[in-house]
Amino acid sequence: MLEVDGLVTAYGKIEALKGVSLGVERGGITCLLGPNGAGKTTLMMTIAGILRPRRGSIRFDGADLVGRTPAQIVAQGVALVPENRLVFPQMSVRENLLAGAYQRSDSGEIAADAERLYERFPRLRERREQLAGTLSGGEQQMLAVARALMSRPRLLLMDEPSLGLAPIVVDEIFRIIGELNRDGTTLFLVEQNAHKALQVAHRFYLMEQGRVTFSGTPGQLAEDEVIQRAYLGTRRAAV
Amino acid sequence: MIDFVQNTLDGVMIGSSYALLALGFTLIFGVMRRLNLSYGPTIMIGAYLGTLLHVDAGAGAAAVAAATVLGAALAGVYVERLCFAPMAAGAGIASMVSSFAIWMQLEQAAILVLPRHTYAFPPLAAGAPLTLGPFLVRLDHATMLIAAAALATGVYLVLHRTRFGLGLRAIVGNPVAAHLVGVDVRLSTLAAFALASAVGGVAGYLVLAVDQQVTPMFGMWATFKGLIAMMLGGLGSIPGAILGGLLLGAIEAHAQWYFGPHIRDLVTFAVLFLVLVLRPTGLIGEAPPAEAAAYGRA
Ligand SMILES: Nc1ncnc2c1ncn2[C@@H]1O[C@H](COP(=O)(O)OP(=O)(O)O)[C@@H](O)[C@H]1O
Ligand SMILES: [Mg+2]
Repeated sequence: MLEVDGLVTAYGKIEALKGVSLGVERGGITCLLGPNGAGKTTLMMTIAGILRPRRGSIRFDGADLVGRTPAQIVAQGVALVPENRLVFPQMSVRENLLAGAYQRSDSGEIAADAERLYERFPRLRERREQLAGTLSGGEQQMLAVARALMSRPRLLLMDEPSLGLAPIVVDEIFRIIGELNRDGTTLFLVEQNAHKALQVAHRFYLMEQGRVTFSGTPGQLAEDEVIQRAYLGTRRAAV
Repeated sequence: MIDFVQNTLDGVMIGSSYALLALGFTLIFGVMRRLNLSYGPTIMIGAYLGTLLHVDAGAGAAAVAAATVLGAALAGVYVERLCFAPMAAGAGIASMVSSFAIWMQLEQAAILVLPRHTYAFPPLAAGAPLTLGPFLVRLDHATMLIAAAALATGVYLVLHRTRFGLGLRAIVGNPVAAHLVGVDVRLSTLAAFALASAVGGVAGYLVLAVDQQVTPMFGMWATFKGLIAMMLGGLGSIPGAILGGLLLGAIEAHAQWYFGPHIRDLVTFAVLFLVLVLRPTGLIGEAPPAEAAAYGRA
C-alpha cells in the first residue's frame, strides 16, 4: 500500500534519513522501532508532506506523494498522529474533531463519525466541550487519534503514541490500535515500547542512524535483541 | 463625576477604532507568530487610495470607504508575499525587519503620489451631537462605535462559525497540526492577512473620517495605536485586543482632560509600561505560542 524507496531527508546539511526503503502492507500493522534520533519522526513527517525529501520516492496506492502538500496527502487518505500529539489546545474536544474533518463537506456524515468516535473514546464524550489543552496526556493522545480518524484515512501513521503515558493508558492505546486494525485501518506505527509493538505488529523494521537495519516479522529476531537495538542502537549494543 | 463619565464615553468610542486596529494586528500575530510592523502603513496605503479617488475624482464617502478597505487588503497581501511567505520558519526577525523596510517603502510611495503634507478626507456622519441625559455623544463617534462592534462581531463569527475560521484557529493553535489535518496553511495565512488588513482598513477609515484629514504619518500612528492596544490586552488574544483598544481610548481621554494633549501620550506609555512589567502577557493574554521553528516546509 505504501512503498518508500531510497528516501533522503535533511535538516540543512545533516541528513536525518540516508536512503530509507520500506513498505507497509494493506490491512496490517507495521511497526518502526529504533533509538532516539534514528530518524523515525523525520520519516513520518516526510511521508505526511511536512518535510520535503532530497531524494527518493513515496508511493501510496501507486500515486507519488513526494512534492504534494500535507493537505493533498490527507486528501489521498493518509493521516498522521504526530509525536507529542499536537492537539489544538485552545479548541474544545468537539472542535478538534471538526478540525480533523477539515477537508470533508458531508456535515451529516462528519457528525455521525464523531458520534462513533465518542463511542470508542467515552472519555472524549465526557469532555467534549472542554479545551483540549486541559486534558491529561492520555486523553490528548486519544483525541489526537480520533482527530486523525476524522479524515477517514486508509492509512494511519502514528508516531510514538505511548510516549510519556502511564502503563495502564499504554495498554488502552494498544487495545485501540488492535481494534482499529480489525476494523480495517492499515497502521504504520513508530514505537519505543518494543515489547508492546512486537505483540501487535505483523511486520516490523528497525531503524538506526537514518537507515533501516532490519526488516522482518516478530519472531525472526529475539525480542531481547530487538529491544537492545531499538533502545540503544547496534553500536552501543555491541560494547 | 459627569466629566469622568463623559470622558470615559468619549474614550471608549474612540477606543472602538483602536480595538479594531488591535484586532487586525493580533490576527496576523496569532497566525504568523510574527509582528507585522507595516500593518499601519498598509492601512495608510488604503486610505491614500481613497484620498486619491476623493481628490482626483471627487469620490464620496462610500467610495472612499470601499477604496480604503480594499486598498488596505491588497497592500496586506503585498506585505505577506514580500515579508512573510518567503521567510523560512524560524526567521521571524527577518520578517519583522523586512516589514519595517516595507513600511518606509509604502510611506515613500504615498508621498510620491500625493506629495502635500495633508489632504482632506470626507467626513462620516455630520450633524448635531446626540444628548443622553447630561452627556453628549458625537454622531460620528457613535457611528464609529456601532461599526466597530458590528465588525468585531462579524470577525468573531467568521472565526468560530466558518470552515475558514476553523482553519485559522487551527493554525493559531499549532501550525504543524493544521497542516496534518489538511488545512492549506499558505492560502489560509494569505487570506488571514487580507482579512486582518481589511479590518484595519475599516478602523483607519473610521478614524480618518472623524479627523477629516490624512497624512502619510497615519501609517506610523496606526501601527503604534494597534501595537499598544494589542500589548495592553494581550498579544494574540482577540478579547484582549478589544479590551486593550477600549482601555487605551479611555486612558487617552482622561489623560487629555486632566493633563492636556502633550502629557497624554506620556501617560499612555507609562500605563503600557506598568502593565507589561506587572503582566508581561498583557491584561488577559496568555503566553503567546512560540514560533513554529521545528518543521518548516523547504
Ligand atoms: N528540526 C530539526 N532540525 C535539525 N535537526 C533535526 C530536527 N529534527 C530532528 N533533527 C535531527 O534528525 C535526526 C533524527 O531525528 P528524529 O527524526 O526526530 O528521530 P527519532 O524520531 O527517531 O527520535 C536527529 O539527529 C535529530 O537531532
Ligand atoms: Mg521521534
